[in-house]
Amino acid sequence: MSGQDDPVQREIHQDWANREYIEVITSSIKKIADFLNSFDMSCRSRLATLNEKLTALERRIEYIEARHYVYVFLYPKVTKGETLT
Amino acid sequence: MPLVTRNIEPRHVCRQALPNTIRSELECVTNISLANIIRQLGSLSKYAEDLFGELFVQAGAFAIRVNTLGERVDRLQVKVTQLDPKEEEGKILCCLASLSWFPAQQTLSCISLQAITQKKAFHSNLIQDQQLFCRPSLPQPVQETYLTCNPPPPLNNLSQYRDDDKDALKFYTDPSYFFDLWKEKMLQDTKDIMKEKRKHRKEKKDNQNLRTLNPRKIKTRKDEWERRKMGEEFVVPKNDMGESLEGLNGSIGSGEGCYSPDGLDQSTGSYGLDPGSPLPHPTQDDFLPPPPPDMGYHDGQYGAPTQKRTSLLSPTHPPPAPPMPCSTPTGTRPNLSPPPAPPPPPPSTGFGVPPPPPPSGFDSSPPAPPPITNSAYPSPPAPPPPLSQASLSPPPPPSLPQGGGAPPPPPPPPPPGPPPPCGPPPPGPPPPSFSIGAPPPLKSTQAPSEAPPDAHSDLLSAIRQGFNLRKVEEQKEQEKKDNYGNDVAAILSRRIAVECSDSEDDSSELDDDDWSE
Repeated sequence: MSGQDDPVQREIHQDWANREYIEVITSSIKKIADFLNSFDMSCRSRLATLNEKLTALERRIEYIEARHYVYVFLYPKVTKGETLT
Repeated sequence: MPLVTRNIEPRHVCRQALPNTIRSELECVTNISLANIIRQLGSLSKYAEDLFGELFVQAGAFAIRVNTLGERVDRLQVKVTQLDPKEEEGKILCCLASLSWFPAQQTLSCISLQAITQKKAFHSNLIQDQQLFCRPSLPQPVQETYLTCNPPPPLNNLSQYRDDDKDALKFYTDPSYFFDLWKEKMLQDTKDIMKEKRKHRKEKKDNQNLRTLNPRKIKTRKDEWERRKMGEEFVVPKNDMGESLEGLNGSIGSGEGCYSPDGLDQSTGSYGLDPGSPLPHPTQDDFLPPPPPDMGYHDGQYGAPTQKRTSLLSPTHPPPAPPMPCSTPTGTRPNLSPPPAPPPPPPSTGFGVPPPPPPSGFDSSPPAPPPITNSAYPSPPAPPPPLSQASLSPPPPPSLPQGGGAPPPPPPPPPPGPPPPCGPPPPGPPPPSFSIGAPPPLKSTQAPSEAPPDAHSDLLSAIRQGFNLRKVEEQKEQEKKDNYGNDVAAILSRRIAVECSDSEDDSSELDDDDWSE
């Protein structure tokens, strides 16, 4: 009985081993895919936060530049503390 | 429907048909599975590269922005530190300028920054993001998924056989349909608002005694903004929702394409009750981003009818805007833009103007009536399309414009009002339009009965004149439209500006020539 089944059994054992091997590889691939997805999401969220901060900064600088421009360019005497004559 | 951005192929590692000639099947399966795993790794690496590429590009853009910001900060820092020791260099010109700005009393030594800023208010030009979700901005993997789909049938080959010079494919699928619809609506609303203001001003000038009218008009605007305050979703129209739905449903159910004047009247009536309601979508900047999708969403009150409308219409004829069954000739896509202008003029001009203008009134007014639109919603944009022919329905229009009175409610109604009559599109000979023209006058309270007789008598001459005048008009309108920005932000900003400048400028910005005729 065992003699007949030996090659078959061996084959089946081998097959199971192969399948386990394949399973390990596929689960690793899934882990890589999950990691990539979560990395992508976190990166995008950080970049979005950065974007917001950059935009806010840019607007503030615009405002400061405009105010400074008016102050300095149009009223140079004032900047020196002298009266406008 | 959520789409997967990146699909790793092949999905199933082991599911593959085995050839029959194999003896050791288990080994075969193993080998096939291993091969598929390798393919999966390949596609995984491709997608990973794509992913990191996108992130890299974004990060690179941010790096550039940070660098420019840093440079600006440095420059500012230098300027500010140089503020005190600054010499009076060649800025004599600015001194003179500043002298002229300041009255004599203000030559004090301490001039606050606030005074300076008050002289010239800070105005930052925000660049709003537009066209965010258009085809070119599609990520590469999704684009590839999209490319695996079947393309639409090559209906454009049939365009050459069409009489009305329209794109045959646009009847099947038109990506720009909703945007065009929304744009027409916005432009129409802008014109309506301006017309209303002009009327308002005229009435103020004419009747000092009728001050009661003014508060009423102002109230409706505030009322509308207050209702929008809580968000567009919570806006309940003044008229009953059920009533409007019923009206629309009735209008749709009454006949295919809603040709019954009563149904149309009901729908347009309910539509026109609230001067603000013709604008279903939000006009505030917060809701700016997706105007066309928003249209569909905020059309909620017309929700079911809208879909019903389109489904009813599509088999019979393509989306209301393009087809313009009423129109005889042209009415190509580009002509959609010219239309909006003519409709407003007729009602406004018709009001206070004595009969002499009827011939000229014909030109512009005919455009208004033709519109098809079984539904009140497309009716404002619909007036545009039909305008092209217009000559066929001079009678209905004149009746409306001379409907006079023009109380506030009508601003939207006049355009939708005339449209209903034009229901039975066909290259309608004047007689049909005449008979159809009857209901609208009956419906509109301001309808004087003198219009039809005048139309009858002046029809031929009016048509001839109308043709000539309208062509020039259309050309002018076309040029005007071409000059204007075609993007969402520009359109919305114009509309909001018009709406917010309630009573600021007494002098009309547009020449009367644009509006009369």
